Amino acid sequence: MANLDVNVGKLKKNAFRYSKVRGETASRIRIPGGVIDASSMSRVVEIAEKYGTGVINITNRQGIEIPGISLADMDKVNEEIQKIIDSLRINQTEKGKGYPSSGTRNVIACPGARLCPFGCYDTTAFAQKMENSIYPNDRHVKIAFTGCSNDCAKVRLADFGIIGMTEPQYDKDRCVACGACVNYCRRRSVGALELVNGKIVRDAAKCIGCGVCVVYCPTRAWTRSKEHYFRLVLLGRTGKKNPRLAEDFIKWADEESILKMVKNTYAYIEEYIDPDAVEHKEHIGYIVDRTGFEEFKKWLFDGVELGPKAEVNQRPYWGGRHYDRYGG
Amino acid sequence: MGYVMDRAGFAEVIAALLKDYRIFAPVRKKGAGRFTDVDAVIYDEIRDAGEIELELKSDYAPKEFLTPLSETLLYFTEDEVKESDFDERPVLLFGRSCDLHSLRRLDQIYLNNGPARDPFYERRRKAVRCVLIGCGHSYDNCFCVSMGSNRCDDGYVFSVDLIDDRIHSNVLDGSFIKFFSEVPGAEEKDVLPRFVTENDVKVEIPEEVPREIVRSGLWDEYTSRCINCGRCNFVCPTCTCYTMQDVFYSDNGRAGERRRVGASCMVDGYTDVAGGGQYRRKNGERMRFKVLHKISDFKKRFGYQMCVGCGRCDDICPEYISFSNIINKVNAASREVQA
Amino acid sequence: MMNGNPYLPFASEILDVIRHTGKEYTFRMAFDGEVRPGQFFEVSIPKFGEAPISVSGIGDGIVDLTIRKVGRVTNEVFERYKGQSLLLRGPYGNGFDIGLYRDGEVVVVAGGTGVSPVRGVIQALSEMPDARDKHVVVGFRSPDDMLFREDLKAWAEKLQLTLTVDGAPEGYAGNIGLVTKYIEGLPLKDPASARAIVVGPPPMMKFTIIELQKKGFQDCNITVSHERKMCCGLGKCGHCRVNDTYICLDGPVFNYEFARDFVD
Repeated sequence: MANLDVNVGKLKKNAFRYSKVRGETASRIRIPGGVIDASSMSRVVEIAEKYGTGVINITNRQGIEIPGISLADMDKVNEEIQKIIDSLRINQTEKGKGYPSSGTRNVIACPGARLCPFGCYDTTAFAQKMENSIYPNDRHVKIAFTGCSNDCAKVRLADFGIIGMTEPQYDKDRCVACGACVNYCRRRSVGALELVNGKIVRDAAKCIGCGVCVVYCPTRAWTRSKEHYFRLVLLGRTGKKNPRLAEDFIKWADEESILKMVKNTYAYIEEYIDPDAVEHKEHIGYIVDRTGFEEFKKWLFDGVELGPKAEVNQRPYWGGRHYDRYGG
Repeated sequence: MGYVMDRAGFAEVIAALLKDYRIFAPVRKKGAGRFTDVDAVIYDEIRDAGEIELELKSDYAPKEFLTPLSETLLYFTEDEVKESDFDERPVLLFGRSCDLHSLRRLDQIYLNNGPARDPFYERRRKAVRCVLIGCGHSYDNCFCVSMGSNRCDDGYVFSVDLIDDRIHSNVLDGSFIKFFSEVPGAEEKDVLPRFVTENDVKVEIPEEVPREIVRSGLWDEYTSRCINCGRCNFVCPTCTCYTMQDVFYSDNGRAGERRRVGASCMVDGYTDVAGGGQYRRKNGERMRFKVLHKISDFKKRFGYQMCVGCGRCDDICPEYISFSNIINKVNAASREVQA
Repeated sequence: MMNGNPYLPFASEILDVIRHTGKEYTFRMAFDGEVRPGQFFEVSIPKFGEAPISVSGIGDGIVDLTIRKVGRVTNEVFERYKGQSLLLRGPYGNGFDIGLYRDGEVVVVAGGTGVSPVRGVIQALSEMPDARDKHVVVGFRSPDDMLFREDLKAWAEKLQLTLTVDGAPEGYAGNIGLVTKYIEGLPLKDPASARAIVVGPPPMMKFTIIELQKKGFQDCNITVSHERKMCCGLGKCGHCRVNDTYICLDGPVFNYEFARDFVD
């Protein structure tokens, strides 16, 4: 083997892994929204067989990682994955050179409304739109989309969690008081519905917009709102210091505002990231812990005009375990 | 008399009709389905020909005009009972052949079962003239041919068939000719509405369903498969059951109303009697009760089958239970009993 | 607006209220029309709803409606008193044909509020010349649940009355046991041609009929009255249908030979 002289920083930025096996790396394929076309998948298989060990790792964030690639083959692999990059419409700075950055992680999404009966919007499409708006970017940001309040995508572990909502529309003239919505809302959701005088009363404050009533209504008395709404939850994280779930920030948010707020976040990070951060990487949550949420909010809302239904939680409070303060 | 015209011509016909008639027709409602971004075809009053859905089978039946899902019958004040008002203007009700056949079943119950005619139904019924939507092909789950409801030679004022983007109308009622004859570009031509002559789904119903069938094991699987949501009843063009509902207004407890809402023999509460009794607790028993009504009990009382074979119950069942398949199971089980 | 709208109730004055138990009152209503025992009225409380109530007595210009307080509507009815009025629709259903029971032996078996629809029949039997051939077995849950106490006393004088309760506190002197227990011992001359009427809760009816059959009764001589969820009373709403029969139109009184095929 020729002697290796590899710029590890560049390698990581190029979406290759620094492997514990000396001389080896793993190629990471970005799959925004978790949907990849079958022919790209075949290419992944080919690369794994040709350059790797014939094994494919499915990553925790819906990406693919092809392990066992020799560091010497990185350029060839970059050429081979070009078709995948094109097919998945990943923003790129230079053709044939692989991924331009890896800091901003793969944007994940549950199957959403394309498949799931409970999905309140096309999670994949929104995830891809988000990807196009923020990638490439070196800043470490995790974004996850889930179709409904079930949160199968576990977006409450991400910096930005986007949870689909629908505002149930009630046509009392189609309601026969069968009680299905009341029953299922109570058993499968939060119990926001009540039968009063033979018609349904919805506790709007309690309603989480999950759409269970719509799914179970046999007469179309309940239908979905034309607008797709979202609950935006912020700054969940795993990790060593202070793992915690994301907290509610905006209920009934709209798509455009969410895209803008996430984009705004990058400017905030540039301003406030710890210049001495290890490998220039600091989770936003820790930056916010330092600057205070008010400052972050100011940056987030720059140029954002929320819709009339949006309810903002002005002072979210994050809990979680503080191993950094109190030990484990 | 028949006419062939383009969509613009048909729009003129509808516009002219709307001056005299209220028109109820299947309308494709964007996003009104159970699931996100899925449409539903539901009957509604239309204001424009473009709203009329001529291609898809409607998810819900035209009975929604005649027997609304929720209809106020009486208003109560402190010491007065008042009947609800009704817009007496004539109505054009669009429907396919199976739908037109279903009206006889509705009439049977509301007008001709027992000595009393239902006046709230009758005032709506009297206002209705039917417009036939032709069927260029059989739809999923249709078994109208087996039920003999695939054709109707009368019972409509004119027909509408959309063929290659042109509307073909057979005007049966002479008084409607004027709405067509003056439309620019409308060609006078012999037109016959299209009817389906064969369905993929076929059913066979025994001439007489043997009584033993109620004890057959075939109902048992539905106790676990069926979720008793009642969709099959709510979309059925021939289901007529309702429940009375009295309410007092929350802002004025002295006033209130009595309304009726659609009822389903599959849904909890249908058989509840005072003091807490209930018949047919199991969904399999409810299925048996419903199916035998559609293909046997109604016929015993009135001499013809209730089910018209539209297949809407199968279209909508969230548990993929096929009513037509049950009919065929009943048929097979009946043969076994009789053998 | 609508001529003779059958859904429109008429007002009827409450002439008297007779309290049987804490939960069961008879409302004596002014009514001039034709009515038979076994028929029912829809008692209408606007804004609360309607409840089907059997006719428990018929007199000159009156009908008795014995009402059990079990729900929204009947709770409200119990708030009314003499001199006020109730809204009624009806009478509905076929009712009993008293003529059938004039000659020969008759057994009436009634349980609980099931006594109401046959009270008029029992009354008529008690006034018949051969009232000693008329047997009545009446059962209540407990001594406190007894209805029509005055009637029971009067009937006991005239016809063969067996009064029983399902259970009673210690020291109760009367019969204790289900009505079914007393069928076998009825002193009948010719059960095969005797007629029977059975009214009560479904399990009680089922087991009473078995006892009658054992005793030698023919199905065609047994009459039953079926209580179902009667709602509109007009054969429209569908709730009371069993097989091809609408209880509210074709019943609630049926010959058992016909009704034995009912499958709920």
